[in-house]
Amino acid sequence: MQWAVATAAFLASVVEFVEAFTIVLVVGVTINWRSSLAGALAAAATLALIIATFGVALVEFVPLNVLRLVVGVILILFGLKWLKKAILRYSGLKALHDEEAIFEETQAELRARGENIAPRFEPFGVAMSYKAVLLEGLEVAFIVITFGSSVASSGTARSLGITSAAIGAAIAGVLVILLGVLVRAPLKRVPENTLKFVVGIMLTAFGTFWAAEGIRISTNGTHFEWPFADVSILFLAALYLLASYVLVTWLKRTKQHGTAGSSTEGIEAIKEEVVS
Amino acid sequence: MKVIRAIYNFLVGDMIILVGILLTILVLALINNVDALASLRSATGVILVLAVLAVLVATLNREARAKR
Repeated sequence: MQWAVATAAFLASVVEFVEAFTIVLVVGVTINWRSSLAGALAAAATLALIIATFGVALVEFVPLNVLRLVVGVILILFGLKWLKKAILRYSGLKALHDEEAIFEETQAELRARGENIAPRFEPFGVAMSYKAVLLEGLEVAFIVITFGSSVASSGTARSLGITSAAIGAAIAGVLVILLGVLVRAPLKRVPENTLKFVVGIMLTAFGTFWAAEGIRISTNGTHFEWPFADVSILFLAALYLLASYVLVTWLKRTKQHGTAGSSTEGIEAIKEEVVS
Repeated sequence: MKVIRAIYNFLVGDMIILVGILLTILVLALINNVDALASLRSATGVILVLAVLAVLVATLNREARAKR
């Protein structure tokens, strides 16, 4: 069991499960649970098929360096996407609670369509639940395969890595479902932004590490190696954390200046109107 | 076109991040595979980290300007 991989996969997957579960919950409450769960189960079956087909091929036939480079780049892209959103939320430039917004938005959409809670299968409810679970589940599958397969150098160790990542993701899924069943409401209390921020930092740090390690495509000549090997990931995470703190402070100041600027402009306009 | 757009939105959804990181990887691939640039190979990590931070600053700057 590789605990670092399992923990990283657990944290990354929790975010995706929370998002998917919110949609399943809304469809269940607003339309009916039968449609919602049917969509979610169908998506889970599709996911299993996709992973069984492409997951194995990915692990067996792709050279490790190429895999590390591709995975590293994709993790950097994912990580920066999440980090950007989290920083914007911390600085107040973006709404903090996405789940709440998704819940209200989806409910309004369903009501606008005149949907009522019905005891039979509703195609719209099934499709909505299916779409959400498939999309978020693909992200989880992606996290499991990338985290698991890039961490080790041999085929056996890669399989162990994927198993560890899968266990981390599975625990995350079970925990989110249990939590959801217990509270029976949108998961407002899960600090989504903190989670996304931490995961964004981790994905970017892992991505930077792997991309630089895998950048050597040809087999000749010297190649780059991180000082202190895997421990560099911790330094990278600390560096990105510090940079994010600086960026949040900068954006907060920019926002305050913008607000102060617009207030001053407003006062000046009122003065001009009074004078004229 | 819809498929490409869906993949783009799924992976990143931000042109500054996508172009910035891909350009950086292209430069690093050249540094690590062209013998004439071999002296720069030891700086691969530093270049990548600086590029990632520059991309993050650029995309946040765009968002901050858009909100003003």
